[in-house]
Amino acid sequence: MSRILFLIREGFLSLRRNLLIVAGAILAVFISLTLAFGALVVNEILRINTLAWQDGVHVIAFLKDAGENGVPSNAHEALLDDVRGWDEVEVAKYVSKAEAWIEYQELFAGQEELLDIDPTILPASIRVELVDIALHNSVKFRLDQQTQVVRQVTTAADSIEQLQNLSSILNALGLGLAVALGLSAVVLIANTIRLAIYARRDEVAIMKLVGASNWFIRVPFLLEGMIEGVVGAALAVFTVWLGSSSLARAGEGFALFRLDVGQEWFFRWGVLFLAFGALAGVVGSLMGLSRYLRDAEGTGPDVPAGF
Amino acid sequence: MIRLENVTKVYEGGTIAANDVSLDIQKGEFMFLVGASGSGKSTLIRLILRDEPVTRGKVWVAGKDVTTMPKWKIPYLRRSVGTVFQDYKLLPNKTVTENVAFALEVLGRPRSVIAPQVAQVLELVGLADKGERFPRQLSGGEQQRVSVARAFVNRPPIMLCDEPTGNLDPKTSVGIMRLLDRINRTGTTVVMATHDHAIVDAMARRVVLLDEGKVMRDEESGTYEGLGEKE
Repeated sequence: MSRILFLIREGFLSLRRNLLIVAGAILAVFISLTLAFGALVVNEILRINTLAWQDGVHVIAFLKDAGENGVPSNAHEALLDDVRGWDEVEVAKYVSKAEAWIEYQELFAGQEELLDIDPTILPASIRVELVDIALHNSVKFRLDQQTQVVRQVTTAADSIEQLQNLSSILNALGLGLAVALGLSAVVLIANTIRLAIYARRDEVAIMKLVGASNWFIRVPFLLEGMIEGVVGAALAVFTVWLGSSSLARAGEGFALFRLDVGQEWFFRWGVLFLAFGALAGVVGSLMGLSRYLRDAEGTGPDVPAGF
Repeated sequence: MIRLENVTKVYEGGTIAANDVSLDIQKGEFMFLVGASGSGKSTLIRLILRDEPVTRGKVWVAGKDVTTMPKWKIPYLRRSVGTVFQDYKLLPNKTVTENVAFALEVLGRPRSVIAPQVAQVLELVGLADKGERFPRQLSGGEQQRVSVARAFVNRPPIMLCDEPTGNLDPKTSVGIMRLLDRINRTGTTVVMATHDHAIVDAMARRVVLLDEGKVMRDEESGTYEGLGEKE
């Protein structure tokens, strides 16, 4: 027990007495993980927004006014019922002329010149969300057949498909960037800690000289690496959280695009990044030490020239 | 206590540092290894400590064959051998007390045992009042005394000293030699590599002269000059 306490104490003591080296290692972790985590946040924002667009209305059928030009007064309701029964349709919603006018007013609020129109010219419509976006042509065709009641059919599916393709590419790029930065973070962290250990190789040699076993030497270094990794990762998570929160606040008034990744997502990935930082620190320390501990019979590189 | 049987050490590049060396060092003995720089003194100490593998021959320390010892057992060997080097080899980020205590920490001794033992040995080397200093805050002689204290704190049966006075002035060297002599009187076997004529002559102990890795002379109560070798 006293040995474990000693090793833990050694790890913390070493952190305190090698401040410059420790600061360098923490900085390396901080920079690389900030970039990796930042890339991940951007990727998530893209993903969220693509999903939001995909969940929107896919097909709109603008209707002729009921009770005029031979259109029966119950034609709208009949078509709505009919459309709701189609297999391709997830949701079908009826928007009356009055509702269309309210929506128009909300959309162009503050733009008086656009609001100065005859509200009766706005048509009623049926807005359709599809089970699968790929079915938009089939639905459009079926609606186009309803010439007696349907004035015009428009579909956003083409633009959505393009957006979907674009966002797939952006998602892959973002994820690839996050993975690449994550990997380079491990290498950078490992190298920095290796350099730190290289600077203290004589200490390792002396420890071996007085009979310290490899694990006795290793544990404080591992603890040190782990703490450096966690502190660097915590700083990175905090920095990205600050940036992400500012972005979310800036995007609050922006209706078409969401810039908030959500607290739950952030917490989950933040914890993962902390664990990743700790792991990178431990792996870096192990890699850095292996060279000096592999040769269990040498006390280090300073074998005298004159033996 | 220490036995070398036809030990040969050839470094990469073909330099022969030990050439068929055979030595028997008894328990409680004080032995000087002398010879010019490059004669193989330090190599012999490294071979005893298994800091270097032998090319041929056998090295026995306290009844154990060091040459065939598995690597994981080497730390146990080193815990029973105190070492003192010319460059002190102190941990720079540890205080005097921590440096000395480290040799006991690796043994897993509890703090209640370590504290009085360290205090006692610091008293022995005359550094009781400098326990909280770091090595850089000490003179060369003081650093070497810390090194001696660390080597002796767990009362090892053997002490290997490689030019312990090499960096010290004559007066300080005498202080270190007195210390080693005192330790030797407790029954500890001391092997010391040196090319300090004055010390060897003054101590009048066993002297082994090496030249190009070979034992040229092995003399009880010898002197450097008496061996007729000068650098």
